[in-house]
Amino acid sequence: MIRIQDFSTFNAVREAGLAKLLPPKPRIGVGMGTCGAGNGAEGIYHAFNEIITNQGRDMKLASVGCFGFCAEEPLVNVRIPGRPLVILRRVQVADVQRIIDDVAQGQPTEGLALCKVESWDHLTASVQYGEGFPNIPNWFDVPFFKPQKKIVLRNCGLISPDDIEEYIAIGGYSALYKVLIDSNPEAVIEQIKAAKLRGRGGAGFLTGLKWEFLRKAVSDKKYIICNADEGDPGAYMNRNEIESDPHALLEGMIIGGYVMGASEGIIYVRAEYPLAVHRLTRAIEQARESGLLGDNILGRGFNFNIQMVEGAGAFVCGEETALIASLEGQAGRPRPRPPFPAAKGLYQHPTNINNVETWYNVAPIVAKGPAWFTETGSTKSAGTKVFSLVGKVTNTGLVEMPLGTPLKTFIYDVGEGGTNGKHIKSVQTGGPSGGCIPQDMFDTPVDYETLQQIGSIMGSGGMVVLDEDNCMVDVARYFIEFTHSESCGKCIPFRVGLDQCLRILNAFTRGRAKESDLDKLDEIGRMIRETSLCGLGQSAPNPLLTTMRHFRHEFEDHIRVNRCRAGVCEELALSPCENSCPLHMNIPRFLDLYKAGRMDDAFEAVIMDNPLPSSTGRVCQHPCEDRCRRAMIDEPLNMREVHRVIADAVYKSDRFETMVERIKTHKLPATERKVAVVGAGPTGLTAAFYLALLGHEVTVFDSNPEPGGMLRYALPEYRLPRDVVRKEIELIRRMGVEFVCNTEIGSETTLNDLDAAYNAVFMAIGTWKESWVYLPGTELSGVYPALLFLEAIAKDEPVRPGKKVIVIGGGNAAIDSARTSLRMGADVTVVYRRERKDMPAIKEETDAAEAEGAKFLFLATPHRIVGGEDGKVKGIEVVNTRLGEFDASGRRRPISTDEIRRLDCDTVILAVGEAVDLDFVRASGFTIKENGTLQVDRYTLETSRSKFYAGGDLVTGASNVSNAMFFGKRAARRIDDRLMGTNNRLIRLLPQVEYSQEAPETPTECHRHSVEELPAQERVETFAESLIGLTPEQTLEEACRCLRCDVKEHH
Amino acid sequence: MPGQISIRIDGEYVTAQVGQTILEVARANGKYIPTLCWLESITPVGACRLCIVEVSGVNRLLPACTTPVQDGMSVTTQSEKLQAYRKIALELLFSERNHICAVCVSNNHCELQGMAQKLGVNSIRYAYSFPKLSVDVSHERYVLDHNRCILCTRCVRVCAQVEGAHVWDVSSRGIHSLVVSDMAKPWGEAVNCTNCGKCVNSCPTGALAEKGFAVEEMVKRDGKVTRLAARRGGQQ
Repeated sequence: MIRIQDFSTFNAVREAGLAKLLPPKPRIGVGMGTCGAGNGAEGIYHAFNEIITNQGRDMKLASVGCFGFCAEEPLVNVRIPGRPLVILRRVQVADVQRIIDDVAQGQPTEGLALCKVESWDHLTASVQYGEGFPNIPNWFDVPFFKPQKKIVLRNCGLISPDDIEEYIAIGGYSALYKVLIDSNPEAVIEQIKAAKLRGRGGAGFLTGLKWEFLRKAVSDKKYIICNADEGDPGAYMNRNEIESDPHALLEGMIIGGYVMGASEGIIYVRAEYPLAVHRLTRAIEQARESGLLGDNILGRGFNFNIQMVEGAGAFVCGEETALIASLEGQAGRPRPRPPFPAAKGLYQHPTNINNVETWYNVAPIVAKGPAWFTETGSTKSAGTKVFSLVGKVTNTGLVEMPLGTPLKTFIYDVGEGGTNGKHIKSVQTGGPSGGCIPQDMFDTPVDYETLQQIGSIMGSGGMVVLDEDNCMVDVARYFIEFTHSESCGKCIPFRVGLDQCLRILNAFTRGRAKESDLDKLDEIGRMIRETSLCGLGQSAPNPLLTTMRHFRHEFEDHIRVNRCRAGVCEELALSPCENSCPLHMNIPRFLDLYKAGRMDDAFEAVIMDNPLPSSTGRVCQHPCEDRCRRAMIDEPLNMREVHRVIADAVYKSDRFETMVERIKTHKLPATERKVAVVGAGPTGLTAAFYLALLGHEVTVFDSNPEPGGMLRYALPEYRLPRDVVRKEIELIRRMGVEFVCNTEIGSETTLNDLDAAYNAVFMAIGTWKESWVYLPGTELSGVYPALLFLEAIAKDEPVRPGKKVIVIGGGNAAIDSARTSLRMGADVTVVYRRERKDMPAIKEETDAAEAEGAKFLFLATPHRIVGGEDGKVKGIEVVNTRLGEFDASGRRRPISTDEIRRLDCDTVILAVGEAVDLDFVRASGFTIKENGTLQVDRYTLETSRSKFYAGGDLVTGASNVSNAMFFGKRAARRIDDRLMGTNNRLIRLLPQVEYSQEAPETPTECHRHSVEELPAQERVETFAESLIGLTPEQTLEEACRCLRCDVKEHH
Repeated sequence: MPGQISIRIDGEYVTAQVGQTILEVARANGKYIPTLCWLESITPVGACRLCIVEVSGVNRLLPACTTPVQDGMSVTTQSEKLQAYRKIALELLFSERNHICAVCVSNNHCELQGMAQKLGVNSIRYAYSFPKLSVDVSHERYVLDHNRCILCTRCVRVCAQVEGAHVWDVSSRGIHSLVVSDMAKPWGEAVNCTNCGKCVNSCPTGALAEKGFAVEEMVKRDGKVTRLAARRGGQQ
């Protein structure tokens, strides 16, 4: 290796490096960071090496660092002379031969190319690769890279980390050379200060200021330290930076050493990063041999050495005073500051400590000046920060973003949203010392001050995305457990306080916490934050305090109803399916009873959990299937269909009477309390069923001629035959419930009358008001609101859509209207303003509608309805939309363009959502929330008026059947609690049925049996039910597929 | 006088020397700040956090035992918040180990107990941990009872700084921290121990005690240790 002592040797090394980087033959670079290696990059490298050698190919093989896109690893870049560098993704050993052949042909491999790089700005120099390959997107057009700006990661994934010549080729060490030639250390510190560079380790102290302290400190010996003790769960920025570009770290430190007057640098790196340690060792050796470390650096008379120390893995050693103690050979425990390390640091000498990433920013600032640096980022936080975006997000990886970028850009633009379409609910920033930021605050810009204001911190840059499957109590518990086991134990708050917090949080996850524990957690958390000795202790309660602030309802759920909605806290759930069911049906029990052929027991078990099993068996959104663990083997169990079969077996046979008598035996003695239920929909029916069984006298009022609500009047006959609904209501009636139909509450029987005549009133009138879009032309004949249309059909009123129907909307009501119209012989087009994947309707329903001949027009929204002179609809004008920013639902907001197109039609059905009938609510005097729904207590369902309870769509806005029934069940329990002054008599209604507690030794071989529908051409001709249920044999096989997650080991 | 500065403690102007800690100045002027891990003339560690004070213009609480005074500093030693946090710290200590005063040799002579009385801690709101901890009786003259230890590390510092033997240290970390003699050997086998008893006399509770004393009989005399330390030049 040449020892660089002057410009000519420096340039010679540079030329040598360029020849390696841009050889006159194809160069293949395999991404060999720990991430790449973990995905098989080493095998790929060897495969390339073997084929190139064995086949005598004229190609250069190199191992490079990581380009940052973890979700697409292993990454391989190929460059043909004169052409762009092409980055290939998810390369497998089997692809290697093909890649080599393609490269030999002068083209990148089809299907593997992720993006191309035509030229790259290394900041210290730029490299022109070449042009061509118009079909491959530029790297900066790929969504993952688009909002990024690579300053720290400027060289990562492009050069070989093991070769100092390649680093020098892209302008490396030229900033150092400049500093040494200028020999004006104060000017460099002024530059760093003017660049407003802040410490990237998390605290964000101004680096220039810190450097000035050390420069001014008077001592015969000064140290500078690089803190590479990165230990946050889910964070690996520093590891990747060192693995991919170790020389940039050395250059930053040598510059720092020179300007601060230190002669020794120490890199404190985690021993758990073997590859980083290896590459750093190599880089230090090379730098020493090249005359960039040691005596008389670059011939400019400056002496500086760097040694590397491997940390033994205590997390607290990332704290600077603990790190120094560890370097001195003592136990890694922090000590109080002052004195600060700049005054008394390592071995009592003045010391400066900076994070890895801070050092990476030094050379670019020196090379391009502070003004260039402050162009990026926000006013107070200049430059970029590297984050590791991990967790429940589609694109995971290392992303370098300008400071001040809003969180939603990270999660939705770079990360492309949740995995498997799941709803993202929070992001945890800053590692175990950071906090959880809820989804409704994703507009928050990511910079030091703003994150601190909302209780989190920047930290070293971890960003863990959490979705609906994460329990926030468990998340808090996880981070507290981590810091608990990493606490040094020196001060009381952190040692004992955090231990108490962990005990209490463990009690939460087991459903054993008390209401007072919330205040206790809050009090201890604040005490730890304000009184702990070191920075780690002071920030340790952050995950707890932020989750308690933003997700308090989840903590309350764990105490008050012993529920963990995400289903993470296993002791609070029977099984994942039971936990996800709004009615908490004991699903494994009815499956087992069916399996055992105990049909009456099965029916009893089902109906006591869910009084409308036949209806829900047809139309439930089945959240249970999303959670079924059988999906990990093949497909989720068809639980909904099994309980439909169990219910229909009774409803459609002569066992109905017997079963009615049997259910009646559960009825508790009469209480002489009278309860009125307003609304005979699924919510009201459920409440009435349980209240009657609890011994109360129940009267249900409804404005329609028949009970059933939406089940009867909104769901079309082909989805839910009215005979089924009638039979289910018959059973409820036989439990002693009285139905008063054709009675509108608010007009004939006033609420005051109910107040006088009943001990409690449960309001469950649903959302029957169609939201209206105010368009020109809605007054024309032939325009229907979807609910009124469906209701009229259900009431056999003489409503007929025309020949050409346009349905506006993407929900279930839109699809129901479309399929109903198809059955009446119309030609149907559904117009929806977003994309198909954004439709709230059940997917199977949308598919069925399409099979029956419905057409879909996506990304369009109505502009005006055009009428003829006769006052009838003639057509509709729609505006094309494009997708803009992400809104609170995590979907892109549709934005109208100015492209208008006209569709001919004679009927328009508007299905843009349902709302509470505000006229009724206003007249009633209940408190209303901003969104127009009724205000109730989350747990007791009490309204602002005493004795009155409310539930269902009335309090949530339009939802679905099982969610509505959940409110009925909760209302029955809470009303009974209040009327009887007891706690949870509802539990007495649970049937005591013995069933097998054995889990199957091996899962059955049988695959899922799905429900089928009659052929589309056949079913579209008629309103008869289109469902073809499972046969008894299939149902039995389905029941046997259950893995029995409810059988816990200790049974 | 050179190096003399003026600060305010609880509203009162007092003079101080540059290099003194807030606690030293407060004590010199008759202001009481509670402490447990602090011992006069021994290097302070700021571990018990009872001596936290408010300093105006500083948005966090500072330990009086390690924070040097600065000219014009305005210190508040008593406030509702400080009292609440000090009480929590004491309650946490009581919940951590098995402090059963009725059967303790140091009952009525215990600094922890005295502090609880002084700060008005008469019940513990937190769940007791009831850890299973050993008692080391291997030393011929002394006993180490981990159940009473509050990890103030006075013994560690006194042994290292005054006696120069460095028998004691803290092993493990976090809630599992334990004071250990030599390399976690029984005390009786600790070859460095000079049997001087300085650790016993500096221990604020009944964790270190002399053999042969019954309940309430063990009176500690840390004055001897601190006077010796002061004569050797004070804190290091």
